[in-house]
Order: sequence, then C-alpha cells, then structure tokens
Amino acid sequence: MDWIRILLSRTAALFRSKKLDADLDEELRAHIDLAMHENLRAGMSPEQARLAARRSFGGVTQTRETYRVQRGLPWLNEAERDIRYAVRQLHKSPGFALTAILTLALGIGAATSVFSVVNAVLLKPFAFRNPDRLVVLREVEAESGAERVAIPDNYRHFLRLKKTATTLEDAAIFSQHGESVSPNGEHPRIVGAIMASPNLFPLLGVQPILGRGFVDGDTQKGTDNVVMLSYEGWQTFFGGDPAAIGKTLRIGGQPNTVIGVLPPGMRFPEIALSSKIAFQEAGRGALLFQPFAPSQRDLTADMGNFNYKVIARLKPGTNLAQANAELEALQKAYTLSAHLPLHFGIALTPLAKDVASGVSGALWLLFAAVGAVLLIACVNLANLQLARAVNAERETAVRAALGANRGQLVRSRLTESLVLGFAGGIAGMALAFAGVRLLISFAPGNIPRIDEVTVSLPVLAFSAALSIASAILFGMLPALRSLRVAPQAALQANSTRAVNTQEGQGTRSVMVGAQVACTIVLLIVTSLALRSFSHLMRQNRGFDSSHVTLAQVDLFAPQYDDSLATVKQAKLAFADRTLAALHQLPGVQFVALTSAAPLTGETWVDNITRPDHPVPAGQEPPINVRWINPEYLTTMQIPLISGRNIAPSDRANPYVAMISERTAREAFPGEDPVGKKIDALVPEDKHPFTVIGVVADTRINGLKDTAAMVYTPYWAFTHWTLSLLVRSSQPSDALIPEMRRSIWQIDPQVAIPTLKSMDELVSDSVATDRFQAMLLSAFGAAALLLALLGVYGVLAYSVSLRRQEFGLRIALGSGKNALIGLVLRQAAYPVLLGAGVGLTIAVIALHWARSQFYEAPAIDPIALSGSVLLLLFAATIAAIIPARRAASTNPMRVLRMD
Amino acid sequence: MPESKSDVLQGTLDLMVLKTLESMGPLHGYGIARRIEQVSNNTVSLNQGTIYPALLRIEQRRWVKSDWGISETGRRAKFYALTRTGHKQIEQETENWERIAATMARFLATSN
Repeated sequence: MDWIRILLSRTAALFRSKKLDADLDEELRAHIDLAMHENLRAGMSPEQARLAARRSFGGVTQTRETYRVQRGLPWLNEAERDIRYAVRQLHKSPGFALTAILTLALGIGAATSVFSVVNAVLLKPFAFRNPDRLVVLREVEAESGAERVAIPDNYRHFLRLKKTATTLEDAAIFSQHGESVSPNGEHPRIVGAIMASPNLFPLLGVQPILGRGFVDGDTQKGTDNVVMLSYEGWQTFFGGDPAAIGKTLRIGGQPNTVIGVLPPGMRFPEIALSSKIAFQEAGRGALLFQPFAPSQRDLTADMGNFNYKVIARLKPGTNLAQANAELEALQKAYTLSAHLPLHFGIALTPLAKDVASGVSGALWLLFAAVGAVLLIACVNLANLQLARAVNAERETAVRAALGANRGQLVRSRLTESLVLGFAGGIAGMALAFAGVRLLISFAPGNIPRIDEVTVSLPVLAFSAALSIASAILFGMLPALRSLRVAPQAALQANSTRAVNTQEGQGTRSVMVGAQVACTIVLLIVTSLALRSFSHLMRQNRGFDSSHVTLAQVDLFAPQYDDSLATVKQAKLAFADRTLAALHQLPGVQFVALTSAAPLTGETWVDNITRPDHPVPAGQEPPINVRWINPEYLTTMQIPLISGRNIAPSDRANPYVAMISERTAREAFPGEDPVGKKIDALVPEDKHPFTVIGVVADTRINGLKDTAAMVYTPYWAFTHWTLSLLVRSSQPSDALIPEMRRSIWQIDPQVAIPTLKSMDELVSDSVATDRFQAMLLSAFGAAALLLALLGVYGVLAYSVSLRRQEFGLRIALGSGKNALIGLVLRQAAYPVLLGAGVGLTIAVIALHWARSQFYEAPAIDPIALSGSVLLLLFAATIAAIIPARRAASTNPMRVLRMD
Repeated sequence: MPESKSDVLQGTLDLMVLKTLESMGPLHGYGIARRIEQVSNNTVSLNQGTIYPALLRIEQRRWVKSDWGISETGRRAKFYALTRTGHKQIEQETENWERIAATMARFLATSN
C-alpha cells in the first residue's frame, strides 16, 4: 500500500512546486552554510571554506533535478512540455490543423453515431434479470422439409412442454397485437398491447413499481378485465398519477381496471411470430399488458391455433443445446402419444439474437463501411503528417544531437497527433449527438429498439478509444520516421532536396494504394446497394398503387365482440355501409375491401387442402387468405388470368374463391383449377370453396416476394380489421379527411390506425433498403472524396519536392505533355495496384455482403466496372492538377532558388 | 587507506540515514551526511547532496517526519526525526542484513 501513499504525495507535490522549490533551496543554503561553518572552524579561509563546502556537496543542479524527479510525476512534466510544444507547432500551420481536426471530427462523429445504433440495437443487454438466459421458443413442423421453418406456438403444446421440461426454469406464452383504447370516450386509437400468461414478469425478473402483477385468478374469463401499464403507458393515459391503480381504462370498448405499473426503462422486445411473418406495426412499443385467458379453442386444439409466442428461461447450469435436445424429444413423444398427424419439433433462439436477427447483418455492414471511411481519413492524415515530419527534420536532428533519446523523440512527435486526435474526438462526440438524431429520424420504423438509441457512456468511451486509436494510427508512422533522421545530413545548411525526393515515396505510395483499395470496396458495395434498391422499385409489382388511398379500420368495439350472436351481421353491415359511403366521395372510381393491409407482410397463413386430392400431411402448400369485395381486382388493377371475378350475385352463396397463379402452380400442378374445390377457409366452418378464377401473381404483401394467395368474398367471413382502398382522381391529401369523416359517421367507435396513400405505403415498406442505400452512398461518396484528396495531396507534395528536377528537364528541352505523362505515371502505379487489390477484396467480401441486398448477383459486372471506372476517372482528375503544375514550372525561377 | 568514493546503493543509504537518526535523535541534512561519513570511517564519502533525495524518499514512506528549526549557525534548517514506522523499519532491515551476513559468512567459511 506504500505506493498509493507515495503516488498521492507525488500528485500533491505537483500543485505546490513553487513553494517546495523554495523550501529546498533554503534547505540547501543551510547545508552549505553549516559546511562552511565547520570548515572555517577547521582553519580554512572563508574562500577555501566555501569551495570545500561546495565540492563535498556535489552538483547542486543535479541534486535539484534528482530531488524533483523523486518529488513529482516526471512523466507528467514531460507530457505537459510535449503538449505545449505540439500546440505551438499546430498554431504555426493552422490550415493543416483545421483540416485534420475537421476530418477527424467527421469520421469519428459518423462512426460514433453508427456505433450508438449498433450498441442499442445489437449489443446492449435487455433490462431483465440475466437476459442471456432467456430464449424464444417456437415450434417446427418436421414435415416442412430441410428448411425447418419455425412456426408460432400452440397453447396446448406449450402447457405440455412447460409441465414436463426439466431444462427450463419457467416459460410464458404471449401474443403482441394492437388494442384500441379510448381514454375519456374520445375516438379510439390503437396502441401496442401484450396478452401474456401471469408468470411473464416474474420470468423476466421485472417488478411493478406501483400496484401488483398478475396472479392466476386473473386468467379466468370474466375476471380477466385487468391491465398493467408500461411506464410510458402510465404517463400517456394517466399523466403519471400515483392514484392510477384501481382506475378504469376502456380497452376494445370494455372497461379494464389498472392493477399495476411497470418500471421505466423496461421495454418489451418485438418478437416475430415466425421469420416469414413480419412483426406487425400495431404491436410495437407495448403500453398495455393483459392477462392471457385461454379460450375454449386454446384449451382443446392440438392442431391449428398456432398463434402465440413463447419466451422461456433456461435453468441455471443448462445450455441451449441441452434444452433444445430435451424439448425436441418431448415434442416427438407428445406427437406420438397424442396421435397427431404431423411431427413437431422445437426451435430455440437466444432472445437477443432473435430480436436483432433481421437487422444485425445490415447494421454491421454499415459499421464496417463507416470504419473504412475513417481508415481512409486516417491514411490521409498520416500522409500529411509524414510530409510535415520531413519538413521538421532539421529540428529533430538538433534535438537528437542534444541528447534526446529515441523514446522522447517518438513521444514528442506522437503528442502532436494525440492533440489532434483529442480535439477531433471532442468535436466528433459533439457531432455524434446531432448524427444520432439524424439517424433516428431517417431510420425505418422496423429497426428494433430504435427508441433506446442514445449517446450513452459506453458510446462515449468507444468514441474516446477511437480517437486515440486513430491518432496513434496516423501518428505512429511519422513518429517512427523521425527516428531514422541522420543528424549530419539534416543539419547541412544546403537545402537542395534532390537527394530526398525518393525517400519516403515508397511509404506514401503504399498508403495511397491502401486508400484506393478501401475506396473501391466501398464503392462496389454502394453500387450494389443502389442497383438492388432500384431493381426492387422498378420490377413488376403486379398491382398499381397510384391514385389509391388506404384506410385501415379496426372493429374492436363491444358491438363487434365475438361472443355476441349478432356479431356476424354487425361486421357485415358495417362493411357494406362503409363501401357504399366511400363510393359517394368525390372522384371515386372504385372502392376495394381486403382483410389485411397491403405491403405489411404475410398474414392469415393457412395450409390449402383439397378434398379430392389429398396431399401427405405437412406438405400442403401454405397460402395467404384474403377476404375481399368484387371491386378489389379493378381497384388494385390486378389482372384476371382465367375464370371469373367475384360478382355481387355470389352474395347468396359466397363459398367461392379466386386463387393466384402461384397457388395454382403449387396446389393444382398441371391442371385447370377453375371448378375444383378447396377445403374450409372460414374458421369453425367446414364448408368447402369452389375455385372460380385465377388471378395474376402480385407482390401485394411486400415488394420482395410474391405469395400464394386465395381471395374469397367478405360475405363469407368479415374480418375485424378491414383495409379499404379507394381509387379516385382526387389526391390522397384531399381524400383522407373525407374518408375519416365518412367512416366515423357510420360508427364513431371504430379505430382508424392507418390512413395514407398507397404510394406512401409502398415507400414505407422499403424504408430499410432505402435507408441502407442512402447511408452507404453517403459513406461511399465520403470515401471517394477522401481518397481523391489523398491522391492529390501525395502527388502535389512529391511534385513540389521535384521542382528543380522538372525545371532541369524543361530547360533541357522536355515537352509539357511528356512531363504530364511522367507525373501521371508516378500516380498510376499505386492507384492501379490499389484498385486491383480492392477489386479482389470486394469480390471476396461480396459473398457475404450480397446477402444484405435484395436479389444481388454474386458477380455484378456493371457494379464492379462502374466503380473502378469512376475511381480511375476521378483519380486522373486529381492527378492532372499537380501534373499540369509540374509541366508549367518556370525553369529560370526554380533553378535560381536554392 | 580510504577507499575511493564507492557507489552506495539506495536502500543501504536509507538504512544508514535511519540508524543515524535513531542514535542521534532529530538532525538536519548536513548533520546526517557528516555523521554517516564519520561512522563509516570515511570509507563512505558520498556527494553530500545525494542525501536530500534519499531523505525525501524516506519521508514519502513516512519513516521520518520533518520540521523547520534553527541550525547551529542561526539559519532556518529542516530537521528530520524518526517515526514509529521508521523504528519498525529499522528492526526489519537490520534483521534482513543480519540474515544476509550470516548466509554469506557460511558460504565464505565453507569455500575456505
């Protein structure tokens, strides 16, 4: 513990150095005085006495030095000296200093912003107890082939697994959806809600800050009208009122009692039903939590009813593989004992990995891109620093001759870079605040946990580490170079630099080459992203979204409650009346009704079965079912391929269906589907449907894929969520308030969560790809600019060094073009070599990168050649300027200068 | 015959200073330096200035504490005195030295 005490005393001494110096001087004076006194007494003369005293003392200056080293923190003094010197030097070249700080600020700011997103979305653990022990549990149909697509969970299967699994500590079942809430009787709005088994929060390790959690008694139908609020929900609906417990909140038209409030900072993650079913926007950011009261169907259905999600906690001491194995075995056993027609398996994914799975690749790609830009910037700065080091050679030589050791020389040079790094880092951190805000505002809505992105402490620490690393990166090379200075050569007064033109050129060329390679890789990735995005937008969609406005209506009011006997008529009446009312709006040509909003992913996924053509269990093709009206095809301008459309005359016997081309291919291979029958599509209704027509494939669920669709009339079944699409000559802005008014005139208690133009919907659906393409383009452009600055800078510098050589050549009769050619050739080697290396790296990296882009080919010749040509063209322009300057050297002036 | 000025190891100088203070009581830097020279019969003749970094070192370790006083010549001078920790340090160091000396003695005896 001694060293702590000593360190403290040394640190304290820093602040009192003046007084301590004076004290020491006084002590030394007393010493000499005493020595003199003794010498006088021994008989010496005053002069001799003083000399003898001094001699026996030894070196006073040396004593003072040693004393100070012992007293203070010598390295701190040296550092202070180095920093002061560095600041002075930078002051002398403000242009360079400003360029460097600005470059670093932009690079570090961008990298920090991207890292904030990466940190919040991918790295930060959830605010639960031991979040790395949480897993998402899904079922798998063994018959679905080698792909083993995970499907959502069935309630009975969940109960069974929970009871018999020994590797799970606990498991909770839940669903995420939108609920219509009408506080104070206003028009209802849709908020995210979660319905979960009562053990969800104990499983997560979350305690309510007000009130209580759920108990088993809450799960009986009749006593389940209780709700827990998230912290945000509490603020939104009750303004943070501590007396909110016991108050009522109208959810879906029913009054619910608030029983508890959850802590701030607890955000329930968005877990998709399966990888093919996108997370519905409505369920995002859950504000309400209700107990899961299983229905009759939940309790009895062993097949079908795969509608839920399960989150589980591994028992301490078990790992994922063991749990997977045990649960898989349990599922198999259950399949056999319950004589299920299909074999079920299990898919376990760690929670963090599951939530981030959709975006982790894209985010790391962005991170790599911004890292490449920063790297290029650092190489630029390194080149600049090298040039400055060469200019300061004489001063370095003097210091070496005066006795500075290698460590001091390197440290001194490096301090300048560290000062720049520090200043650039601070500016970068400030920029990152703005950068993060920019990223969040432009980010597509489906990035999970985007609301948790802030510039937090780990992010700032990363930023600081990055600044130091960058500074060392671009400062080390020039610092090390200063060690190779031969004092003799540098001290010579003669400043003809003909001897130094080639020195260091090798290093500079290599660095330019490295920059070019990085830039090429980035340019190729960028062009891939841009081409992929343009392909996505321009390919044939199969529908026309222009002049169409969408209104999504949710019938979650009590008059549409499932338990009522009149619910079917109520929903049907609403649909009829709304269709009629919307037709009355100005400029309206067609009004379509469908049961799922377009471009929001696959939903209502079922398996198609044909009564006359049975297919082995588990191999029925999956289909998307939509309940539509006759005008749907004309509104969306989807062509009919064969057979006929649904007509108003089908209302009496609505068990007809149209199928898409893909469904025809998969379920009716080689036959004409028109006239054939398919099995029940309406829940709880066994009536089969007759195929009356085949419709063209469309990318109506998402631009990236077609789906196998089955369209049946809404008279057979009216869903609770209706999407009304209005084709009108009027623009959407004018139409939207009219639509809202019409709908609420019919029933003011329905919720209208979405009301926007179809074009906007299409644009929103590709927001992620657009965002990625935009960011990569920005980084690509930045990299190109930096690389060009690098090429220009190095070439200009080397030309300036060779001024006299060019003067000589001109004087000896060389033509201008020959000189330009000479300079360009010098630039050509590193650029071409760098381009070659970059191309190779890009081709290798593409193997992984192309998975991030929609339908990107393995080798895209246009992207590759386009990027290379762009770089070469730009590099030529960058090199022409110094080349022309070299060619226009005035030999008289240059040769007379010395 | 007095030896030429030999390099005195840091640690041994510290112990000498401590022992001096133990036997002489509070003393100023000059006095300590002269006493060391006398006790070692002038075989240890160090540059007296080196005493001061040493004194600072042992003061940082709290083996001595310092105070300003008046010297014999009427000038202000710093006086150093042993602390309790310093007394303990002396015991420990003395033990170390005696052990080393005994071990060396055995070696030298056997090689004869």
